[in-house]
Amino acid sequence: MDKIIFQRLKIEAPLFWKLFLGLGFFILVGYLCAHYMETEGHYVTGMNNQIVWGMPHVFAVLLIVIASGVLNVASMSSVFNFKLFKPLAPLSALMAVAFLISGLVVLVLDLGRPDRLIVAMTTYNFKSIFAWNIFLYSGFAAILVVYLWFMLDRTVSNYSKPVGVFAFLWRIILTTGTGSIFGFLIARDAYGTAILAPLFIIMSLLYGTVIYFLLLKVINYFQDTLMTDEVKDNLRKITIFFLFANLYFLALYHITNLYISKHYDYEVFILTAGGIYTIIFWIGQVLIGLLLPLYLLLNKNSNNESNFMISSLLVVFGSFAAIYVIIISGQAFPLNIFNDYIIVESSFYDNVIHDYTPSLYEIGLGIGGVALSLIIILIAIRNLDFLPSVIQIRKPLVDEKSD
Amino acid sequence: MNKNNLTRRDFLIKSASLMTVVYIIPDLVSKTEAKPLDEKVSSKTKWAMNIDVDKCTKGCTACVEACIEENGLYGMDRPETDSQWIRKLTLKDIKTEKIVELPMLCQHCENPPCCDVCPTGASFRREDGIVMVNQHTCIGCRYCMMACPFKARSFVHENLTEQLTSAPRGKGCVESCNFCANRIDHGSDMTACEEACQKEGHKAITFGDLSNPKSRVNESLASKPSRRLRSDLKLKQRVTYSGI
Amino acid sequence: MGQNFYRYLFLFIILTPLNISSHNNEPHSIKGSSKADSMTQCVEPTEIMQKEHFVFLYHQRDNTVIDGIRTKQHSLANCIDCHVGYDEKGVAIPINSEGQFCQTCHVQTAVNIDCFSCHATVPRDKGMKRIKASDNNNHLSDKIKDITTYYHSNNHE
Ligand code: HEC
Ligand code: HEC
Ligand code: HEC
Repeated sequence: MDKIIFQRLKIEAPLFWKLFLGLGFFILVGYLCAHYMETEGHYVTGMNNQIVWGMPHVFAVLLIVIASGVLNVASMSSVFNFKLFKPLAPLSALMAVAFLISGLVVLVLDLGRPDRLIVAMTTYNFKSIFAWNIFLYSGFAAILVVYLWFMLDRTVSNYSKPVGVFAFLWRIILTTGTGSIFGFLIARDAYGTAILAPLFIIMSLLYGTVIYFLLLKVINYFQDTLMTDEVKDNLRKITIFFLFANLYFLALYHITNLYISKHYDYEVFILTAGGIYTIIFWIGQVLIGLLLPLYLLLNKNSNNESNFMISSLLVVFGSFAAIYVIIISGQAFPLNIFNDYIIVESSFYDNVIHDYTPSLYEIGLGIGGVALSLIIILIAIRNLDFLPSVIQIRKPLVDEKSD
Repeated sequence: MNKNNLTRRDFLIKSASLMTVVYIIPDLVSKTEAKPLDEKVSSKTKWAMNIDVDKCTKGCTACVEACIEENGLYGMDRPETDSQWIRKLTLKDIKTEKIVELPMLCQHCENPPCCDVCPTGASFRREDGIVMVNQHTCIGCRYCMMACPFKARSFVHENLTEQLTSAPRGKGCVESCNFCANRIDHGSDMTACEEACQKEGHKAITFGDLSNPKSRVNESLASKPSRRLRSDLKLKQRVTYSGI
Repeated sequence: MGQNFYRYLFLFIILTPLNISSHNNEPHSIKGSSKADSMTQCVEPTEIMQKEHFVFLYHQRDNTVIDGIRTKQHSLANCIDCHVGYDEKGVAIPINSEGQFCQTCHVQTAVNIDCFSCHATVPRDKGMKRIKASDNNNHLSDKIKDITTYYHSNNHE
């Protein structure tokens, strides 16, 4: 009879430290970038009074969206009783915590006054979706920690299912909240539509799944976790499903926008005339991020694992493009202040499509955030029993902590 | 004895305040109905502004310059990141091709989107209708700038040094027109931009208290139809425009 | 020989911060140049001010910004106006610079305040003129005369 036990990542110390220092280096660089931006002020970045949210927000939103998405595997096991994923659930919750924390860190480090974080944590304006998100994020982190504990501690593991269901509901609300950050911005033609919330949910499901697959693949390279063909096949199938769903919601978003006269100009801009933004949209988000992976996954030798790998990497690239298009081009498109006048002159760039060149500092901060999430995962799986593996049990009773 | 002490202290305080040079508003326009300094602002006063676009003169930037001087908004010569609380726009009528100019500033909405989205409540609407940023609780997230339909807000992108005593401002916070709150609270009923516009003789900008029937803004509203920008958003701005 | 050289080098390096931080070139504030120096009372009793000045400031800050109350007594602008020192040329010295009023105690107690990243550190009015100590002190001495006469008359009552 086979039995599943959970183990630590057993890599040699030098390799661990190499990975640790490598990631640590990027975190340090990220921190220095943030520190420089804070002491000098944001003028050293590519952000300005026109593009107020830049690369750090792209990274932060992406990380938060992924955080919610990687919980898929755990949700499927606990909410939908999908036994196959049960052993992989703790790892999924761990990744969610890691991505969430790093997303928030990036977000906070980009504030104009990160030193006032305490203000943000103590004074709330409950009308603000942003304030609600602070609750949703910290609540999510707390729930995940409890969930992890319940999953890993045998004595309380009976309760892990209700907590899992709760975490599932919470993450849906959380992604809705993240989408609503933009959905509630009635002022801007690109945003201000309720479809952004489901679009964000479906994006999170897709990105989370492929990120989970990729990370599991990396871990598997060092140590055999339970990444059976069956697991891969299922991940592949749901990826295909999410790709279709994503295409559908994306189309829905843009088509409804075309019918809302307020948003029409922006739609024409992003679909045809937006220069770099149009290119990123069509090539990055749609072609590389959705169509190409679909093609690869649906084609004849789709069972081929490297095919799945490549598609996953393409989806990750596409995810970046997607968030970039939503955040940056939404701001680059000028505000429509007057409906029967066009602005011909302004000292404040009211009449131009603004371009945005991210500075290295912003990118450094973002990459630091990614490195932070990876280092959290690395440290956790090396020190705690997260990785499932199968052992053949000869005698029915065996000490599980024999490693 | 005790009482005596108290009055002496009071006297000292009073003379001390007298003694201090009146640096905040050197040229107070004394008004009969001005609010005492120690009284809270109330919704009995409704500050508002009307801008008569027909009177706004081409190429004139007196209001912008007055604002810069009033609030110490000197820039770093980096137009993309320097603050602008009020700016001039040149517009072309889509149908008639007529060219007009107007000043654009915070519209002081009664339903301000910036305040709705602010996570800490630093963006707020004062009882008398002035929408402003409490820079002591602003964390610099810039969500309000995303939410503003008029691009009225600026983020302070770098370290500042020569701030005015009457207008503190600094790196990492969002700022915008506050209807010269400091001036108004000290008894003036005229913003710096209106004053400049009057001095130029254009009188395009009229400011005042909506609940005072004789206020300049009420007179100009009565004399000419006016409208709010982006009325589809139902923000009920306190800044209105006539002539467009 | 070599050892001595290193010893001196070491001493030199160690002492460099001292050399640099002895601010010979910085403007010296004249002792007694601020208005407060020629007065006896702060806006509240001194012991209370020493311990709780920030409570007043925080309170005033919200009163002013949220409710538009502009009383002078606890106004930060007013503290600066009264407590700021002046150098030989009569130019106000930033109140948070080294050795100045809002800095010395805070260094001793390791308090860090960010108020002066926004608030003017010297009285500075709209025309960007700095207020000269000389104008002030003339003004001041007249007032002090008034106060002393008031005192005397009050005491004689
Ligand atoms: C009108 C002038 C004046 C104003 C305005 C004023 N002070 Fe003072 N302050 C004084 C005087 C004079 C003293 C010295 C009192 C004494 O020696 O007992 C003093 C003393 C102090 C002390 C104690 C210093 C020590 O070394 O013990 C503090 C702290 C202080 N003030 C803070 C403030 C703050 C904060 C404000 C603004 C809310 C303020 N002051 C406004 C005149 C003023
Ligand atoms: C980000 C910039 C910023 C910082 C930092 C800041 N303030 Fe202010 N402060 C302002 C602004 C803006 C006002 C409003 C001025 C107005 O409306 O006249 C103000 C007003 C005040 C007022 C009322 C006006 C006056 O002069 O009395 C007080 C008191 C005050 N601040 C205290 C503080 C204290 C104490 C600190 C440090 C703990 C501080 N502030 C830090 C921007 C700042
Ligand atoms: C007598 C010495 C002294 C002087 C002079 C002084 N402070 Fe302080 N200040 C302190 C001490 C001590 C604290 C810490 C009090 C505490 O935390 O209990 C403090 C705290 C503060 C705080 C609160 C800091 C925090 O962490 O919350 C502010 C704001 C402040 N001071 C402003 C000022 C300003 C402005 C001036 C100049 C007008 C000034 N202080 C002058 C001693 C002083």
